[in-house]
Amino acid sequence: MTDTQSVTLDRVLDAPIDLVWQMWTEAEHFAAWYGPTGATVPVVEMDVTVGGTRHFCIEMQTPDGQSRMWFVGEYRVIEQPTRLVYTESMSDPDGNRVSPEAMGMPGGHPELTEVTVELTDVDGRTRMVMTHAGIPADSPGAMGWNMALDKLEAHLAG
Amino acid sequence: MLTADLAIDDRLDETFAALANPTRRAILARLAQGEATVNELAAPFAMTLPAISKHIKVLERAGLIERSRHAQFRPCRLEPGPLAEVAGWAEQYRPIWEERFDRLGEYLQHIQPPPEGTDS
Repeated sequence: MTDTQSVTLDRVLDAPIDLVWQMWTEAEHFAAWYGPTGATVPVVEMDVTVGGTRHFCIEMQTPDGQSRMWFVGEYRVIEQPTRLVYTESMSDPDGNRVSPEAMGMPGGHPELTEVTVELTDVDGRTRMVMTHAGIPADSPGAMGWNMALDKLEAHLAG
Repeated sequence: MLTADLAIDDRLDETFAALANPTRRAILARLAQGEATVNELAAPFAMTLPAISKHIKVLERAGLIERSRHAQFRPCRLEPGPLAEVAGWAEQYRPIWEERFDRLGEYLQHIQPPPEGTDS
């Protein structure tokens, strides 16, 4: 019984489908919109081939100074311009995966997530459906409420 | 990505603060097995009853436990809502993606030529 969580957003963008595709697959465009407000995306490497690597960095100012977060992933499906699937994990600057817990994320965050982008032409505009899903770790049911309770029990035992 | 400046909402902060204590986690683990009175919860700990009560109040304020109002010994029970939110990483990403796509929409407007027939 896997307990995969996901979040889906569905939007219509006022732009042709080919341009929206470029927003996801060309580093310069991707860097322009992806980072949170006030952050920049100073490094983006995208090898947009199936099995190719994506590796990028988000940089932001925090009260403690400049902070960089690195992410790494792999393209799984490339069907230009309608469907793109890639994975994502937190990483170090060299692109080695690191666990979300090690990066200070709350427990229950999956180490590997998958983003699916589906684009449809709607009379010159583009409908974009994005799903961001967790890929369950080796142990089934590794996420969610059960895991929260398991953790509590582990703390009690430990 | 959950980044420092995209603060998780205050309620989650409160939940994490409440969880950041081994005694309170132990109390929750006990309550995961069923409701219990303050006396029962205090039994495994080398702590005074008022000290345990203080921990219980923190958990109550964070919405992690609920205490019966009417029963004589006011037993505590686990309130799964906030913990489910903690575990629900995917929903935490929704506002991040929303904001991202707002920016994408603005960026697309910015880089596209104005529609034909528009004076500029």
